[in-house]
Amino acid sequence: MIEARDLRKEYGGFVAVDGSTFSVDGGEVFGVIGPNGAGKTTTLKMLAGLLDPTDGSAEVAGYDVSETEMRHHLGFLPEESPLYEEMTPISYLSFFADLYDVDSDVAEQRIHDTLDDLDLEHRHRQLGDMSKGMKRKVAIARSLINDPEVLIYDEPASGLDPLTTNYIIEFTERLAEEGKTIIFSAHNLFHVESICDRVVIMNEGKIVARGDLDQLRQEYGETTYHVYTTVELDDSIRENGRYRAVVESMDAVDSLRSAATEAGGEVIDIRTEESSLEEVFLNVAEAGTTGDRYVEEGRQ
Amino acid sequence: MKPRKLLRIARWEVQKNAGGLDRRTVAITVVMIVLFAAVSPLIAAGGVGLEDGIYRVGVDEDSQYYGVAQSDPTFEIVAGADERDLRTGDIELLVDGRTIRVADSRKGSAAYSEFRESVQRYNNQQLAGEANQTAAFPVEVTVEFREQSDPGGTDGQTDDGTTTDGGNGGDGSGGTDDGSTDGGATDGSDGDTDGGTDGGETDGGSTDGSGDGGTAGGSVGSAAPTLGQDQISGSPADISPPFPFQSLVLAFVFVIPLNFLIQAYGSTMLSERLNRRGELMLVSPVSRLDIIGGKTLPYFLGAMAVEGVIAVSLFYIAQGGLGGAISLFAVMPIVLLFLSATFLGAMFARSFKELTFITVTITVVLTSYAFVPAIFTESGAVALISPLTLVVRELQGEALTLSAVVFSTLPPLLTAGLFFGLGSGLYREEDLFDQRSLPGKVLDALAVPISRPRHVGIMTIVLIPFVFVSQLLAIALLFAVQQVSVQLATVLILVVVAVVEEFAKSLHIYAAHTHNRFERTMRMAVILGIASGVGFFVGEKIALLAQLVGLQEVATAEAGLSGGIAQGPILLLFLLAPLMLHVVTATISAVGAKGSRRSYLAAVTVAIVVHLAYNLTVVSAVA
Repeated sequence: MIEARDLRKEYGGFVAVDGSTFSVDGGEVFGVIGPNGAGKTTTLKMLAGLLDPTDGSAEVAGYDVSETEMRHHLGFLPEESPLYEEMTPISYLSFFADLYDVDSDVAEQRIHDTLDDLDLEHRHRQLGDMSKGMKRKVAIARSLINDPEVLIYDEPASGLDPLTTNYIIEFTERLAEEGKTIIFSAHNLFHVESICDRVVIMNEGKIVARGDLDQLRQEYGETTYHVYTTVELDDSIRENGRYRAVVESMDAVDSLRSAATEAGGEVIDIRTEESSLEEVFLNVAEAGTTGDRYVEEGRQ
Repeated sequence: MKPRKLLRIARWEVQKNAGGLDRRTVAITVVMIVLFAAVSPLIAAGGVGLEDGIYRVGVDEDSQYYGVAQSDPTFEIVAGADERDLRTGDIELLVDGRTIRVADSRKGSAAYSEFRESVQRYNNQQLAGEANQTAAFPVEVTVEFREQSDPGGTDGQTDDGTTTDGGNGGDGSGGTDDGSTDGGATDGSDGDTDGGTDGGETDGGSTDGSGDGGTAGGSVGSAAPTLGQDQISGSPADISPPFPFQSLVLAFVFVIPLNFLIQAYGSTMLSERLNRRGELMLVSPVSRLDIIGGKTLPYFLGAMAVEGVIAVSLFYIAQGGLGGAISLFAVMPIVLLFLSATFLGAMFARSFKELTFITVTITVVLTSYAFVPAIFTESGAVALISPLTLVVRELQGEALTLSAVVFSTLPPLLTAGLFFGLGSGLYREEDLFDQRSLPGKVLDALAVPISRPRHVGIMTIVLIPFVFVSQLLAIALLFAVQQVSVQLATVLILVVVAVVEEFAKSLHIYAAHTHNRFERTMRMAVILGIASGVGFFVGEKIALLAQLVGLQEVATAEAGLSGGIAQGPILLLFLLAPLMLHVVTATISAVGAKGSRRSYLAAVTVAIVVHLAYNLTVVSAVA
């Protein structure tokens, strides 16, 4: 559904995005994460046709991103979506429905359905009088006005309170369940982890890691083993009447098992704990930009 | 471009702005527009009577001066006034039989002076009402104010060289119309600076016109016999040179609304840029031309509507009927020029503070362009630089030639197109929301369309209307200097020409280098210099339009617009020399442009000096 091939964007001598290549399948939720200035937003804007790539190409829904027709199949939600505050939600959404050639009857129904789904009240109040969360809901409704197959959401919950944030993340999950293809960028990696099938991690304009979450953890994260014994061992701590030791390999677990037996005790429980996406991200970021380290070798 | 979407955006622009206005603001705006529309024609027609009743005069109804005081609104008649009122300052004049007593004050003296003139006018009016006009006016003189040159052909000169102006009444007492006195003479077109004086001196008809005289028929005591005013008779002492009051007011009336309009237009364009408001429209399936066109259309139509009301109103007052179509057509390039310059300015500005500075600059420069030449409507061909001159001439009932209309309207139209083109090049994500400095934005606008050397030549051609309009503006502004010293004005215009043309040939080359469009080699500099020089040479021939209407008769214009039309064997030289000049100077600048900004400025300075030296040489040779 989305293909990016060697996307590159330069501003003068500054390389904002350097040779990004990835693909997103239909119905997939794809995350783009990275620190500030990593090139996430620039990449998303090139996919939305807002920025012309200095080099490389991209297709969305089968159209080159430079084609106007592509925009009929795309819903774009920028990180900041200041609205025309003199307008009401209804007039604002109706205007964009016209620009997207949506039939007026269909548009009217779709506007009300979407605003119902988003639980947005005060539909005839001027946008300037609305809260930030309500404005964001209107912006999301605008991204859906043309019922697009592909959604590009750049930090959809940025700067919102936790309640609204959760609402928007859940709403995005529902969109994914409906079969929309979504590219999703967020600073809050918990959100990415909760809804994304695959992610790319960008740093200094380059994709430095990619894959599904399990693969990324395996490659860049750590699995720790919490071994609970009935006897005290070296480096173990007492916890609720038993002793817990933390090791990072199965060989170490076996060693602990032998040591416990020799001490007249036994291993009563072993629990594994995997790195969060945030820890993976930090590991990748610490590794620097030594190259595009692909988890899925050969995947374009 | 899709008209349906453009119109939808235009409708949205109106709705959006209407939604931001409260009823009070709307009401105040409507009242102001109505007042402006109502008062402007009155002012243009001769004022609003601010001096009414400023002098008080004590005069009895049976006095022969009563009618005088009554006929002049400047005077307020105070019934039953006496000597005491004069001393206390309650009145300025007291008519006592045949004696007029004057208050001992400066206002009293002024009132007396005015009263004397009123007596003279009153007497003339009484004489004008006499049945026997020959007895009333035994000697009649028609004074005709002629232009120094009349490119519009309104002087009635016919194809065979005869003149039919002035005294075509045919009473046989004066000059002849067979061309014997000046037949075939090309006064005003031979470039003589004295052409302006021979019009009224040698034409036979200048002393015998009686009633059905020329289109610019004379008047005594009135500078401009227009806007429904009748000819006024009087003594030779009343003759005064024409002061372009009505031209000035007419130009003013048309230009003022545009200055208000561009404030709103600039704001709406800039507001799309602030806080990235316009980003969502850019990502929707509409072209940037749809967006720009849709946002501009309401302001263009609004401006044309206001100008249309003014034009029709003034035409009705002036001619007593419906009309003003030519005026409306002539105003259109001015409207587009104001809008396009504001649009480009809004693309450059980073804040409303900067936009204010830009719109003020636009107001001053474009108002000068439209306004200054137009006030010389009755003085010479230089007036045709401004399209408003067409408006003034239509309202004064003068004929307009096609060449005059083209000359006045085409340069601003093309310049407006250039401004819109440059601005639309910046109407994209990476420039629209960028906070680069104003010079950086200018370079961006110039560099966007350039990716190959031939684009440099095309861009140079595209910039020609701007060059032309800049030079015309300089000519208009230096017209006053020309009245003092033709030599000084000529040198100044040559300097302006050299500076404008050299930057027009090279600034986009420098802009392209700042965006790394070309290799920074000597070979590439020469290629770009040749492309730009040739492009300028081709585009410069648009200046020939000026010669269609004889503008080069204005000495500064002749200097500024590359001399007259060469004839005979030197034609080739006149073609090759400027071509060589433009190629050489453009190459000099291009060499500098491949380096730093400092090296570019140094190179373009050298190019300007070379250009100036060439111009001085040519002008000296022609002289």
